[in-house]
Order: sequence, then C-alpha cells, then structure tokens
Amino acid sequence: MSSDVVISCRGVGKAFQLYSHYNDQLKQALLGFWKNFYHQHWVLHDVTFDVRKNERIGIIGRNGAGKTTLLQIICGITTPTAGKVEVKGRIAPILALGAGFDGSLTGRENARIGGAILGLKRNEVERRLPGIADFAEIGPFLDQPVKLYSSGMVARLAFAICAHADADILIVDEALAVGDEAFQAKCERFIEEFARTGTILMVSHSLDYLRGLSDRVVWIDEGKVRAFGEPAPIIAEYRAAILGQTAPARA
Amino acid sequence: MYLTVPFERAWHHRELIRAVVRRELKSRFRGSLLGWVWAIAAPLVMLIAYTFIFSIALPVQAQNISITEYAGNIFCGLIVFSLFSELAYRAPLLLHEHSSFVKKSIFPSEAIAWIASIRGFVYAGISFVVLLVFRLVTAHWLPGTVLLTPLVILPFALMMLGIVWFLMGLGAFTKDVAHLMVSIVPIMMFATPIFYTLDQIPPQIVPWLKLNVVGDYIEMLRALVIQGQLPSPIMYVVCVVVSYGIFLSGYGFFMRYKSVIVDVI
Repeated sequence: MSSDVVISCRGVGKAFQLYSHYNDQLKQALLGFWKNFYHQHWVLHDVTFDVRKNERIGIIGRNGAGKTTLLQIICGITTPTAGKVEVKGRIAPILALGAGFDGSLTGRENARIGGAILGLKRNEVERRLPGIADFAEIGPFLDQPVKLYSSGMVARLAFAICAHADADILIVDEALAVGDEAFQAKCERFIEEFARTGTILMVSHSLDYLRGLSDRVVWIDEGKVRAFGEPAPIIAEYRAAILGQTAPARA
Repeated sequence: MYLTVPFERAWHHRELIRAVVRRELKSRFRGSLLGWVWAIAAPLVMLIAYTFIFSIALPVQAQNISITEYAGNIFCGLIVFSLFSELAYRAPLLLHEHSSFVKKSIFPSEAIAWIASIRGFVYAGISFVVLLVFRLVTAHWLPGTVLLTPLVILPFALMMLGIVWFLMGLGAFTKDVAHLMVSIVPIMMFATPIFYTLDQIPPQIVPWLKLNVVGDYIEMLRALVIQGQLPSPIMYVVCVVVSYGIFLSGYGFFMRYKSVIVDVI
C-alpha cells in the first residue's frame, strides 16, 4: 500500500455462518474439513476502498446495510471471510459505546482496562486518568460501578477513554446520539481537533453533520459500496433513495 | 518460530493481561470484611480438616509416615488438583463470561486463558505457601529441593494454559463441554494420587495411573517439597515434553477457530 494510505480494504467480504441447529456449530468446528453444516449469509461483498492519512470519512447506509460489520473488520474484532484489510497505526474504536465495559467494576477500573485494550501502558493510563475524568464530567460516579451509570454517562466515559488513547485512527459508530447537547458539542470539538492530526471514520445518521465533517463519504447499500467520493452529491442521492423507498409505503 | 509464538503474543499484550488480572484479584474479595485473610484461611482450614479426617477420624495408615507428612501429601495433591479442576470447570465458560470484551472491543481473546491461569496460580501459590509454613512448623525443616519447585510448576502451568485454550474454544461452540467437565473432573480426581500415594497402589495399576499427567506433577511436587528427593528424570522429561505439546496444540486449536468463535458466542 502506498505511503499515505492508512486503511486499505481490498475486496472485503463477510459471511456469517447460519446454523439451523445449535450443535451444528460444534460439528462444523470438529468435522468442518469433511462437510459443511451451515449456510452462509453474506453481509458484505467486495468492499474496496482506501483511506488516506488525515482524511475524514463518513459512512452512510440504511440499518442492516453492513456498516458496523465493516467497522468491526477494520478494527480487527472480527475477520473478513474474503479479501484483505490493512491498517497502519493505532485504532481507537468508539463502537457501540461502552458495550465492552464490565458493569461490576468502577468507571476508573474500566478506564484502566479500556486503556490497556487500546494499547496504553499502565503508567500512561494512570497519567491520563485525570484527563479522562475531566473529559467525561461524571464527577464522583467515576468511582462507582458502571452498572449504576445512565447510558449517557457510559457514553461519556467511553468517549473520554478513546479520546485519550493517542490513537492515529478514530472510528466512531453513531456514538454521539446518546449524549446530551453539551457533551455532543464537546465530542464534535474533539473530533474537529483530532482531524488535524489523525484519520477519522464515522458512521452517522445525522447527514448534515457528516456533510460538514467529511472529506469523502462511503455509501454502503446491501453490503456493497454503492458510492464513494464527494459528500454533497452522494448524501443528496442517498437521501433521495431512502425517502423514495419509504414514501410509497407511507402513502 | 512457531514454538515461541504464544509467548510473544502474550508479551505483546502484557499490559492488558496485567490490568485484568489485577482487577480480578482485587474484585474477588470486594465486599468482604476480611478480604485477603480468606485467601489464606480457606486453604488453612482445609489442611486442618484433612489432617484430622484422614489421620485421626479415618486413619489410612501408610508405612513409616507421620500424620503430618501424610496430611502434607494430601494437601500438596489437593493444591495441584483443585487448580486443575477450577480451570477445567471455568474454561468452557470463559468466553461467554467475557463476551462483551470479545465481541465489542479489540480484546485479544487468547489472552483470556493467560488471565484465568495466572489468577488460578496466584491462589494456588497462596495455598502452597501455607503448605511450606505447615511443613516448617511440623517437621522443623524444609528440604533444599523446595528451591527446584519452579522447574515443576512452570511446565504444569504451560499444560494448564493449553487445556484452557482447548476447552475455551470448544466451550464457545457448545455448552455441553461445561456439563461434560462436571462429570469428568470428579472421575479424574479418583485417578489422581491425592488421598493416596503411588506406593500404596497395587503395582499392576500404577502404569495406568502414571498416564495421568496431573498425578505425575503431584508426585514430582511431593518429592521436592515433602520427601526432599529429586523426581525421576525420565518422568520429568516426559512431562515437560507432553505439557509443551499440549500448550502448543491448545494454542493452535484456539487460534485456528478464533475468528469463527467471535461470531458464534
């Protein structure tokens, strides 16, 4: 891959193996070399695109189009069934915010583990904890178990951890919808700031925000890249497509 | 080099492994008044109970062995076996337990085996210190061979890691593995020289019992800690080779199915 490309997806496809019986999973694992016990459901086909350093990429598409799966593949949470993904640099994924937290641990402990997952050393995490606390603005709740948090507080903490991970690439999956206005504004300011030095991939359904933020937009439709390029025309076309499809249903 | 890959991966994730182990150790006794005292009290109570039951209430007399040495033998066997059984019971459920980590964050799922094993070995270590103190108090000496115990514990730890990877991977596919362990482990317990030593057994059965590697480790540990003898070098070498084989193949099995496992749990 060329020097300024930080994410390169080449023909990426993902098939989930659907089993009609729970035990077929075990049979597949043990006897898979002999016979297949599943049928495949492809959620992504032949996705190819490059992201250059310092680019801000918006990802749009309807629910179930495969956006989150694509982000999970880029982060390395799940592996592609076909094709290849190459990533240069440290990723901080703000996916399904706070879903990786352990509810019985305090916010501070989750921040320690979250920081370690993102690849920070222990003393680096300790040094950043005050900053994370400042950013999250959840006050004394930082030392309470996460199970007592509201969903907005979980989102604040998760975003704060990723914001302090020294990442090269920030991956945001509809993360801003949960927080209140003040926190959303703060996150947007952070993303603005981050974009000067880092690369951003962002899934969002607030199209106006994406149009303002993105350098380029990827439109994922039924697991394929339907369009990739200038934000304004693609977003206009996307809007027309989804409204055109839903309008007759309402009439 | 394939032989060292598991160590390199673990070293790469050492900060993460350390962070999770630290909080698991801390959270185990959270909400209890005495905290870590329980970690010491539990093995101590067990040691006293076994000394009483098997030497006074239900004497199983072995030749030329004092009551406290007998209790030491039992306790030494129990430390090793309860470590084995705890990991065997927990391993099939580990991925389900940590599913939010595995599915929702960039958590390296193979590190869970290291975390669970280190945690188990820390508790076993506490019991082991209790055993050493008990020997020191009752026999007034500890053999110099105690210093060699790390050489036995290390390959045992590698074997346990391999078993955990294997069970953890299988357990992701079917819950039956967890149920199966509940029936297998107690049978294993009788096939392991815990409440007896190999010299109390009819000689024609001994070779079969020696196939049980967990039992071999118990015998070797007893030799070093209680009898103050060196274990047979052939047995040691065989155990090390077998353990390393289990370690590597468990890792290989888990990594081969890792990508599928994330999708099925």
